[in-house]
Amino acid sequence: MDTSHIAPTLRDSQVLDFCKRGYLLLDGVVPEEINRKTVSFVDKNTSLEPTDILDESWFVENVILNPAAAGAVRSLLGSGFEIPILMSNHRVHMPAPAQGWHRDGGSRYGPTLHYLQVFYYPEACTADMGPTEVLPGSHFLFQHSSLMGHYGNLRHGVKTVASAGSIFLTVYSIWHRRSVSTARGTRNLLKYNYWRTSPPTRDWVIEPDFDFALADYTFTRRGMRQQFRDTVDAAEMFFWLCGKAGEYQTMGGQGWPMPGHRNASPRGFPGEPTATTY
Amino acid sequence: MSLEAIATKLDQGIAELRAGTLQESTLAAIREELRSACNARQDLLYLQAAGTALDTQVIGMRMVTDGELSDGADDPDDWPYQTVLDAIRDGWRIIEFPNLALLLDESRTYAYGAEFVLEKIRSA
Repeated sequence: MDTSHIAPTLRDSQVLDFCKRGYLLLDGVVPEEINRKTVSFVDKNTSLEPTDILDESWFVENVILNPAAAGAVRSLLGSGFEIPILMSNHRVHMPAPAQGWHRDGGSRYGPTLHYLQVFYYPEACTADMGPTEVLPGSHFLFQHSSLMGHYGNLRHGVKTVASAGSIFLTVYSIWHRRSVSTARGTRNLLKYNYWRTSPPTRDWVIEPDFDFALADYTFTRRGMRQQFRDTVDAAEMFFWLCGKAGEYQTMGGQGWPMPGHRNASPRGFPGEPTATTY
Repeated sequence: MSLEAIATKLDQGIAELRAGTLQESTLAAIREELRSACNARQDLLYLQAAGTALDTQVIGMRMVTDGELSDGADDPDDWPYQTVLDAIRDGWRIIEFPNLALLLDESRTYAYGAEFVLEKIRSA
């Protein structure tokens, strides 16, 4: 399917925020009628991979190509992205215990973003329905899934409590789990991937006053990572998305992109001399 | 009963033997204590802390108490221990310190926090 007509919707600061957190929640963006049709579909097709739903034009138009979601995907994966060809449904009969923390198999770590893992709640998911819990910033945090089984509650975890028709986009490697549910009934959560087909470039919604040197790249979660690693990694991913991977550099110390209240532009900003160039 | 307490009872039994006052019931009681000690259960507490200092904030937890898993409360402020030191003061014994070999590469971070594993022994 040609998606080159889809316009990006995210601004610079939103793209950077995605780099920092590793996810973006779009609350209640799918129309209620479509949510109902989706629930009806998956209630009849209870497969864990109801890929047939991708043959339904109403689903493709309103969920896969939902303006808010597809605009965000276009912003992050560039023009002509490919739409999902596989649909999973994390259909859970509640109540259910919490799932173990994991990152999905196939995860790769680094600044590149060639695909997105996306989730869609066709029904409201309240805290007692076991919403997916994500660990913001963990898309840069390497760990084998098989060595995560002893983790319980994590201080920095965030439950994706959301309205019906919510879609959230994630970096594939983000840590996540289904949280414990105490409600009764069935919870559906559809999951699918979009794919990049073009080189990264800064062609989303440009903020005229966005300053690469002074932007806030920091997303501190105390104790989760070494100080400022989040800053460096988010900056590198943002530069990669901008198509500026070749320009990216860090000097270390208090140089760019470290946060701080300075009286001048931070040293070591891309283009300035660093230890590797002077 | 602790192994130290059982050893004390054995010492008493030996003294009674030497004095010619040892009763079968004394030995039977020691046998029951030994059986009980053999059936003791291990409780485990995983604490991920913000650093290796024992008084840094706990940022993750899971515990096994009497064979049952618990992740603690949803709200971290309601977790039973806010630091590893709090847990030690409550009788938990550290059986594994954070594996520093996993933390030595500045450019890549492995795992979540500095992980301590602690235990308590629960009598049957």
